[in-house]
Amino acid sequence: MPALVSKGLRDNRRALIGWTVGIGAFFALYLSFYPNIANNPDLYGDVALTKFPGAMRDLMGGLEGGFTSGSGYLQALVYQLFGPLLFIMCATVLGNRAIARPEEAGTLELTLTLPITRRRLLLERFAALALSLLGVAAVTLVIVLALSAAVGLGVPAGRILAGHTGVLLLALFFGTLCLTVGAATRRPGVALAVVGVVAVAGYVVETMGKDVDALSWLRWLSPFHYYLDGRPLQLGLPVWEYLVLAAATAVLVLIAIPAFDRRDVGV
Amino acid sequence: MTAVVETEGLTKFYGGRRGLEDLDLEIRPGEVFGYLGPNGAGKTTTIRLLLDVIRPTRGRMTVLGADPRDAAVRGRIGYLPGELALEGRESAERYLAFLGAVRGGVPEGRIRGLAERLEADLSAPMGKLSKGNRQKIGLIQAFMHEPEFLILDEPTSGLDPLVQQEFLSMIREVRASGRTVLMSSHVLAEVEHVSDRVGIVRSGRLVAVEEVAALREKAVRRVEFHFDAPVPREAFEDLPGVRDLRVEGAGVRCTIDGRPDALVKAAARFTVVHMVSAEPDLEEIFLTYYSGEEARHARAGVEGPA
Repeated sequence: MPALVSKGLRDNRRALIGWTVGIGAFFALYLSFYPNIANNPDLYGDVALTKFPGAMRDLMGGLEGGFTSGSGYLQALVYQLFGPLLFIMCATVLGNRAIARPEEAGTLELTLTLPITRRRLLLERFAALALSLLGVAAVTLVIVLALSAAVGLGVPAGRILAGHTGVLLLALFFGTLCLTVGAATRRPGVALAVVGVVAVAGYVVETMGKDVDALSWLRWLSPFHYYLDGRPLQLGLPVWEYLVLAAATAVLVLIAIPAFDRRDVGV
Repeated sequence: MTAVVETEGLTKFYGGRRGLEDLDLEIRPGEVFGYLGPNGAGKTTTIRLLLDVIRPTRGRMTVLGADPRDAAVRGRIGYLPGELALEGRESAERYLAFLGAVRGGVPEGRIRGLAERLEADLSAPMGKLSKGNRQKIGLIQAFMHEPEFLILDEPTSGLDPLVQQEFLSMIREVRASGRTVLMSSHVLAEVEHVSDRVGIVRSGRLVAVEEVAALREKAVRRVEFHFDAPVPREAFEDLPGVRDLRVEGAGVRCTIDGRPDALVKAAARFTVVHMVSAEPDLEEIFLTYYSGEEARHARAGVEGPA
């Protein structure tokens, strides 16, 4: 493994353990409630949930199938909002560690004077980000698979894998967005703000925009569209949508390289 | 032999603020070049330009015969940043191993050897190191791959006097092996004993480049002789370079410009009991360059940046 990648992973180690434990615990907690909820269709079933205001149902992903069906429960509580949210937060922290934060701390200068090109530096830091997220995703996937089986969720493993892959791609997109903004502007705060605005606006546009004609075209611009609209938990791996997410991430890297390569560092 | 550093009209503006303007500098192979100036004069700007950390506004430069944009050149350079930032729980040992790996491998024994010379602690987490210990780690990583060209920005800051001596002897060894050093400082005394030439930079401009030996020759030196018997004043009057002559009984005091030859020969006619010759105060010469530059700027009506 290239030295900068393994160094990046080593530096991320503690954060990765923390995020994996945190996200895993969160998923485990929610999944462990399922048997209780499934036994109360009057309160949590499809029909009961129609009492919720439409906009709120939209924001929560439509609540199709209610909380009492395995896929409905998993979608609403893990894969709709909280899972992506936690992963995106983790990815943003790691994305800032690639360029902007070391630059602010002053540690980037010495790395830059090693006999490597800036392009290679950036690509290896991106690789460390991708591998870090892959690690968190892999461990939490195992947790979800194990607990789904334990509580009798009845969702096929392939669908869970499809959903989890989407969360990973979404997180990688936002982590890369953070890396790219940081690489171009040298400001971790700005990178954080951009990710926050794009994530919140993207989510709202994707979920609420379905029924608002004026907003619906904007959904094409939302990163969440390419995860949620494919409904991976219900329909399996949405290949094209995921390819769009991956391609958008690649485009961000291609923007980050020249932006970082052209500018002064640390002034 | 081609120059190790060659710049022509090298200029860097940060927005509207001048960092460095029209620098023409040549550093020759095998020399130790002291780069002097007060804080904010443009020393670090020059060094960062040579290492491609920042890009020139205009001008041309080569480092070891190549464009600094070529990453391979940096493999032949050892660099100590002026403000070295080290952080995290990682030990210095692991960090040095990482830097060595990116540089294509450095024998572990060499790192340990340098650490012993500088009495550096390699096992402590880097985030907890004191300023002096950070500086030692910085020196180790600059020297460890035995680069052809060492660029050291304020290398002695934070080092205690004993370690400073060790550092200076490391610089002498580098010079003895024919390698080149560029070291910056804001204090002449820190570099004058190891430098062959010094460049003086002020307000973003190079005001002078001098051989240290020539600088010494220009220096005003205070000399004192004590004889076994009173000496006549006439014997020391009108000697070339001798000024402020005071003869009191068996004692003679004066200052001399340039060579002390005539004075020594005059004194040799009597029996010398004791002689004192103070080190030339290069700092004073140094300051005259500064004030000269300031005066020039004032005349030209140029506003000097803070």
